[in-house]
Amino acid sequence: MATLHVLSHSPFTDSRLSSCLRLLGSQDALLVCGDAVYALQAGSAQLQALELMPEAIALYALDEDVQARGLELPARLTLVDYPAFVALSCQYSKVNTWL
Amino acid sequence: MSKSLLIISRQAPWSGPGAREALDIALAGGAFDLPIGMLFLDDGVFQLSGAQQPASLQQKDLGANLQALPMFGVEALYVAQRSLEERGLQDHPETLAVERLDDAGLSALIDRYDQVITL
Repeated sequence: MATLHVLSHSPFTDSRLSSCLRLLGSQDALLVCGDAVYALQAGSAQLQALELMPEAIALYALDEDVQARGLELPARLTLVDYPAFVALSCQYSKVNTWL
Repeated sequence: MSKSLLIISRQAPWSGPGAREALDIALAGGAFDLPIGMLFLDDGVFQLSGAQQPASLQQKDLGANLQALPMFGVEALYVAQRSLEERGLQDHPETLAVERLDDAGLSALIDRYDQVITL
């Protein structure tokens, strides 16, 4: 019973990302979109935390949000477009959106 | 003598109207020759990073509009060093001529202005 966790708020302004990382299941996945893609910012503690996730946990980001912000991409990241986002939402048994 | 105004912009560029509204206030004030300063704080520092492609979100380029600040007479531009460091941006050049200030510099800056608004 794996869950796709969707984050859309900046990881620098509140604790959604750190809370999410704390309660992530071993087969769960994380998708960042909107300002949450700033978690991929090179040199930040937030990216370090993402890099420390177990390999089994997939990390996705919405391509257009990454492009808009001009970020460099970590190796373990998979970029997705909106159709792929929808496909992922169906693939996991639950979607937890951190509104 | 007009009162001086410091605008503190602390919103990231593409998630809402906050960043653009702060800039609009600065440009409007500059057009009327008011003594305006602008400080980029917290996620506001992302407004100054390069290689952004707002067209992928069907948005207008805020960075291009930021370049207009000096032309409108708004040349007192500052960025919080701590906010840059927290975001791993301390080694990246800003797209605009801004002065980096540490925490003590920030309180001194706010002290110097008659009025302050944070967006």
